[in-house]
Amino acid sequence: MGLIREEDKKYLREEFSKGLIKDVELLYFADKNDQSDYNLAMKTLLLELVELDDHLTLTVKDCSDKEEREAEGLELCPAIKVKSARKGFVNFYGIPAGYEFSSLVEDIIDMGSDKLALPDDVIEEISEIDYPIDLKVFITAACPYCPRAVRTAHLFSMVNENIRGSMVDANGFPELSMKFMVSSVPHIVVNDRSSFVGALPPKEFLAKVKEGILIK
Amino acid sequence: MIFTLRKEKEREYTHHDAAVIGAGPAGLTAAIYLGRAKIDTVIFEKIAPGGLIASTDWIENYPGFPDGTSGEKLSELMEDQAIRFGARIEAIEIIGVDLNSDPIEIKTNGGAYTAYAIIIASGTSPRRLNVPGEEELIGKGISFCATCDAPFFEGEDIIVVGAGNSGIQESLYLSKFAKSIKVVEFLDHPTAEKILLDRIKEFDKIELLLYHEVKRFLGEGKLTGVEVEDRESKKKKVIDVKGAFIYVGLVPNTGFLNDAVDMDPEGFIKTGPKLSTSKEGAFAAGDVRTTSLRQVATAIGDGALAAHGVREYLEER
Repeated sequence: MGLIREEDKKYLREEFSKGLIKDVELLYFADKNDQSDYNLAMKTLLLELVELDDHLTLTVKDCSDKEEREAEGLELCPAIKVKSARKGFVNFYGIPAGYEFSSLVEDIIDMGSDKLALPDDVIEEISEIDYPIDLKVFITAACPYCPRAVRTAHLFSMVNENIRGSMVDANGFPELSMKFMVSSVPHIVVNDRSSFVGALPPKEFLAKVKEGILIK
Repeated sequence: MIFTLRKEKEREYTHHDAAVIGAGPAGLTAAIYLGRAKIDTVIFEKIAPGGLIASTDWIENYPGFPDGTSGEKLSELMEDQAIRFGARIEAIEIIGVDLNSDPIEIKTNGGAYTAYAIIIASGTSPRRLNVPGEEELIGKGISFCATCDAPFFEGEDIIVVGAGNSGIQESLYLSKFAKSIKVVEFLDHPTAEKILLDRIKEFDKIELLLYHEVKRFLGEGKLTGVEVEDRESKKKKVIDVKGAFIYVGLVPNTGFLNDAVDMDPEGFIKTGPKLSTSKEGAFAAGDVRTTSLRQVATAIGDGALAAHGVREYLEER
């Protein structure tokens, strides 16, 4: 039995078929020596996903290839980067399990199309950002509020390449969670310097990000 | 490992015969009944289908699941059932509703919609204690979601505020992670169901602290303790904890209504026959309305009744 339910596969085939007009590459960086269930689940999930539509491909890379990983802007491993001809730094550190599976699916559809579900005034404001912003959204798989924050960070990066959006599985990266004092999710870390908590609407989310940038 | 798939749709058209605000048990049930009646219906959900049950660890008083079920699973099943009957769920937040216009105008963060009838099933949010230190320490040790945040308190001493069903049920879940749990209850008795109270007796790490009031949360940048007062002796003491989970009741999610319908003093929507509100064409169902019990089972009944009310209303229009 696979990780994705058969009825969900049927649903995803239809959604991908309707939604994808561009090729999407799932770039998966993993430790080739990692035989853990966690790593196996990540790879299985991605293999099952790319089988659902011809627009999807999976590329597996080794974490030890530091040069390539850095070229992709990936700080942590394991990581899944969703790539297409569309701009955007759409990234997952750790497995998008539980409620986060929907974030991955929605990101794939967005990266494979021209869709952008953000209010016009927010798009305009994000477009004007001319400095780098790194957003790490810490989540747990059982958090129903978290996908909203992950998706907002990813949508921001699709508007402006100065913004990098990464989901971070807090349980998969306990040391990093401790470093950023994560005790409630979604916990959004801005440029590794400041943070805020909560699944806020896009406009409020952007205001918090900008507020965070000002903190030295 | 579970992979939960949300099945929201994108906006395709903006007028529907009926609109349901909120995809919790009440909203999804209404959608099932409206779908089966072939009434064109849209459901708006800003977080995730399931509402509060989506973040509930375990539900065992809802019939049909003799061994209980996770809130996540029950949400997914309800969503699938609603979609099977044609429900169209859109991931969108409601900003305002004009109940005086005909059709009713619904303002969202993704543009305006119209519908001849609406069911307000927007549910509730956890009530805050409103004591010093709470606002500053939310997300820094204070949480309202055990299923989301429990893993961060592995091996730690924590408190749960409130000994109602939610507080006790979530304490049982938190006991898988925390070293010790003190459940602080304002009243001199817990209000949770007897079966839950019997169950916590099996856990040495869970201790009830009755007739105590939380006075303030302590800590700079992270929670370090909670000051509580014995309501009988008036003596105060500090409990050293790194986590606090608050379950002291619910507040209705009705801000977007701008008092457009009659509400009770706590802000819950007053309903009449077939769950109609004080405004024609607007119905209310589930936790958001004035009711004596807020459970999945009662929300389901509400959803069915409100859908029936909408159907009759649309037929008479």
